[in-house]
Amino acid sequence: MNEERKLIVSSSPHVRTPRGTQQIMLDVIIALLPALVAAVIFFGVKPLIVTVISVISCVVFEFAYRKLLKKNASYMDLSAVVTGMLLAYCLPPTFPWWTVIIGAFFSIVLVKQLFGGIGKNIWNPALAGRAFLLVSYAVLMTTWAPARFQNADAATFATPLASLHAGQLVPGGANALWDMFIGNIGGSFGEVSALALLLGGAWLVYRKVISLRIPVAYVGTVAVLTLIFSRGNNHLLWMLQNVLSGGLLLGAIFMATDYCTSPVTPNGQLIFGVGCGLLTVLIRYFGGYPEGVSFAILIMNCCTWLIDQHTAPRRFGIMKGEKKKKEKEEAKG
Amino acid sequence: MKKAIDFIKPAVILLLVAAVVALVLGLVDMMTRDRIEAIAEQTKTNAMNAVLEAPSYEALDVTGAPADIDEAYAAEGGGWVVQVTETGSQGAVTLMVGVTPDLTCSGISVTQSSETAGLGAIASQQSAAGDAFRSQFVGQSGTVAVTKDGGTINALTGATITSRAISNGVTAALALCETLG
Amino acid sequence: MNAKKQLTEGLITNNPVLVQQIGLCATMAISTTLFNGIGMGLSVLIILTCCNVVVSAIRKIIPGQVRLAIFVVVIAGFVTIVDLLLQAFIPALSSALGVFIPLIVVNCIIIGRAEAFSSKEGVFLSFRDGVFQGLGYTCVLVLMCLVRELLGSGTVGGGLLNGANSFITLDGTGAGIRIIPEGFGAGALILPFGGFLTLGCLMAVMQYALRKSGEKKAKKEKEVKE
Repeated sequence: MNEERKLIVSSSPHVRTPRGTQQIMLDVIIALLPALVAAVIFFGVKPLIVTVISVISCVVFEFAYRKLLKKNASYMDLSAVVTGMLLAYCLPPTFPWWTVIIGAFFSIVLVKQLFGGIGKNIWNPALAGRAFLLVSYAVLMTTWAPARFQNADAATFATPLASLHAGQLVPGGANALWDMFIGNIGGSFGEVSALALLLGGAWLVYRKVISLRIPVAYVGTVAVLTLIFSRGNNHLLWMLQNVLSGGLLLGAIFMATDYCTSPVTPNGQLIFGVGCGLLTVLIRYFGGYPEGVSFAILIMNCCTWLIDQHTAPRRFGIMKGEKKKKEKEEAKG
Repeated sequence: MKKAIDFIKPAVILLLVAAVVALVLGLVDMMTRDRIEAIAEQTKTNAMNAVLEAPSYEALDVTGAPADIDEAYAAEGGGWVVQVTETGSQGAVTLMVGVTPDLTCSGISVTQSSETAGLGAIASQQSAAGDAFRSQFVGQSGTVAVTKDGGTINALTGATITSRAISNGVTAALALCETLG
Repeated sequence: MNAKKQLTEGLITNNPVLVQQIGLCATMAISTTLFNGIGMGLSVLIILTCCNVVVSAIRKIIPGQVRLAIFVVVIAGFVTIVDLLLQAFIPALSSALGVFIPLIVVNCIIIGRAEAFSSKEGVFLSFRDGVFQGLGYTCVLVLMCLVRELLGSGTVGGGLLNGANSFITLDGTGAGIRIIPEGFGAGALILPFGGFLTLGCLMAVMQYALRKSGEKKAKKEKEVKE
């Protein structure tokens, strides 16, 4: 149909890279594996099953939708596998399998494909799927289980986030920090181990899949805000517990950095990260839900086009409106 | 002169149309007013009978009572019926609370609410789940609260705010009756 | 203009909600149970038909400058009449729809049809237009109610049908017939956000179908020419 579109003309310089979407997605999958290993260590084999179900249903929905509408198949680019893994990672370890399929349907068909498929979606599919599940199955989505090596009894057990939401430090004080770092805590199974997520993040940075701007701006904003507005006497401990709890690292490293739903300009990425951090702290402090990461990133996803528009670099040879006007006047007078 | 006619004609026609519509509306209002009032009265009596059965009710003066109390009635043969309005998740929730002479709740009914269908709306529905929820309030006294707040009322699934509002309403009604008798 | 063409226009090709995209507010707000959907749809149908007939009848004497004011007066009159009648004879529906009945006054479907159709066409055509456009609106509402109620709360016919004792309840208290066990429905669809979601999906399906049928028609015409 659009034959004239096949030839793309643009000015130099051109950079050619052998890396395609598939290679990048493969790197993300590799980076996500440590968190899965940690989840299996701390919660048993259930997380693995949930992840497999989520990945398979995401790929099947992606394949079926494109097949049904006679569009070119895109499941080979592995993006649906990444969505499936991320969606599974933000579910509690007790989550029933059938709801995972509903979440996968929402993520892939409604959020991703209806908007045109990979590269055209406005929101991060996995996060939107999680938000949908959270609103729809509030009870199931907040039924947590303690990690295997935790000295907690299942009935009175609370996730670190629940304690923080109530304005209290996680019981155990500084000792709890080590548990939170390696992942020996309750929570969504992909987000508990900060160590595993940081390993994955390091791999992504090393492979130049992501830049550090968004994650650092995001986590940095949360750290600064929670340090300044800390609750309780031990400011540093409050800040560290806030950074290590919940989906902050998972969101900052893997979700806020999603290519098509975050800004492309360097300054835009900083603004995006700071915005995410600000919203996360606001929701955690004042919101009805204990966790704000998913909603914060989704809201900032909506602003991406605006940020991009206002931080776009100046084109060569074109002056900003103000300056131009002034010079015109000067030329006149 | 032509200009004046251009200006006046539309105004006159608009006036005529408005007058005709007003006339028709007046007629319809005359036809329906009594019926609407009777229905409102009937609905109220039914709601009162559902929470505390009595042959008749006598309206009490509730000026000076807390803002969420709308109306209070003394039932013939002892006890009270109180109408309270609380803020639910989607707007006002109006309920009738029956109170026995020994200051326990004898039943509640939600007369007006715009809570979410399938969640909070169950509180006003005539279904097994709705009946089960409402019957929890029978026999309650003192401060009524949902389990999340340390009380004994099991909140409707996904509708903690609605359940909390209704619990608050019952508490307010019980407190009012304590001052009455 | 024949009746069949007007009917397809109202229901499909020029559907008020899915194609003209008017009257969306109430559509999303009340489409949570079948009882609400049918009640709202029929109220709009009646008001729309009455307004169309009256506007068409007086179209020759309406001065252009004040036509919108006259439309609004006529519409507001009929809406108030229907509101009073509902309160008097179907109080359950009146309390279920609440403020959305008076809000029909500002529903763009009615003023839109007055401006675009009945102020230009004859009384009989306008009557048919009112009925068919109203039917189109009702169909979309019922469809949205069915989707949202079934997937959201897991029941069919909430407010209207009752699984337990009496099958049909006209007082709006029926709990509906449960299809999906309790706790399995995606509650998000019942929330306002679910209204946007459902409507968006329905519009997408409609646009897709219209485009497909348009392409088919174009192809056929081409073949005939050749």
